Amino acid sequence: MDDGGHAYAIREGFRINWMNMRDAATGQVMWESGEWDCGQDEMEAQIPCEILRCKQISRELNFSSLEVLTSLRLVQSVIFKGEPLEEWNFHFGFVIPNSTNTWQQTIEAAEEEEMLPAELLSGNVVIETTFFDGDYPIMTQRVRIWYV
Amino acid sequence: MGLLGLLKKMKKDDMEARILILGLDNAGKTTILKTMTSEDISHTMPTQGFNIKSIMQDGFKLNVWDIGGQEAIRPYWSNYFENTDGLVYVVDSSDTRRLEESSRELKQLLAEEKLAGIPTLVFANKQDLMSAAGAEDVSAALELDFIGDRVWQIQACSAKTGEGLQEGMEWLVGNCRKG
Repeated sequence: MDDGGHAYAIREGFRINWMNMRDAATGQVMWESGEWDCGQDEMEAQIPCEILRCKQISRELNFSSLEVLTSLRLVQSVIFKGEPLEEWNFHFGFVIPNSTNTWQQTIEAAEEEEMLPAELLSGNVVIETTFFDGDYPIMTQRVRIWYV
Repeated sequence: MGLLGLLKKMKKDDMEARILILGLDNAGKTTILKTMTSEDISHTMPTQGFNIKSIMQDGFKLNVWDIGGQEAIRPYWSNYFENTDGLVYVVDSSDTRRLEESSRELKQLLAEEKLAGIPTLVFANKQDLMSAAGAEDVSAALELDFIGDRVWQIQACSAKTGEGLQEGMEWLVGNCRKG
C-alpha cells in the first residue's frame, strides 16, 4: 500500500467514541457526550456551570482504531473567542490494531479569582482535539462549551 | 488520596513519571485505576487496548498506562515498555488455577531488557473474595523471592474496596527514579 492509501485507511478506521468530564475530587461525571457522530464538524456540549467550581477536573476521551499506529499523538487546545488559552500535547506512541482506548487527563483548575465568569465563557470556549500519526493529521474534533 | 495524592510522593527531582500496569485479563488493572480516581467500577469492560490516566499538578506529571491483559493483546505489551519508571503487576489472587500462567508472564516481563531494574509492585488483588490466596501464597506462587535485580514489593489489595491500593502505589512512586 502506498503512503496515501495507508493514511486514508488510518483515517477511515479511526473514531472518537465518546468524551466526558468529571469532578476529579469525587469522580462524579459532570458531563458525557454519549455516542457521538464524528462526521460533524463541531459538537456542542452543555456542561453544568458547577464544574467551574471544581478544584480539579478530568477530561476523558475514548477512541478506536482499526489500523495499527506507530506514533499517535494528540494536541488539545482550549480556545476562547478564537485565541488559544491552553494547549496540551500527549504522545501515545503505539496503538494496537482493532483497539479501543481511553485517555483521561486530570488538571488543576485556575484559581477562582483568575477564572472568567460562566456567562462570559459560555458559547465562547471551544475544545479542539487533533490526532496525528507522526506528522500526518488523522482527525480534528471541536466541542463548543455551553455552561448551563 | 487517590492518584492526585501520589504526586506528593514523587521525588522533587523527578518531575514526570510513567507507571505501567500489566497482568492477565480479569486481574483488575482497570478497576484499580478507577477506584483510585473514585470512579464507578460497576460497568468495567475488558480493556481492548490501553487506558491512560494522566495527572498534572504543581508541575508534576504522572502518567499511568493500563494495557489490556487478554492473551491476544499480550504480544503488544512490549510496545509500551519504553521509558517506564515503575511496573505494577496485578494478580487475581482468587484465580488460583491461573497463578502459574500469571507467574510465567511476570517472569517474561522481568527478563525484558527495557524493563531491567525497574521497581516492581505486585498487587495480590481481590482480597475481598473468600477464595483469595493471601499475599504470601501469591508471592510463593510467583517465586518473587528469586527477584534480585530490582526493588520489589507485594501488596495485598482489593480494587473493589480500595484496601491496599494507596499503600502499594505510594511505595512504587516513592521508589521510581529516572535511569
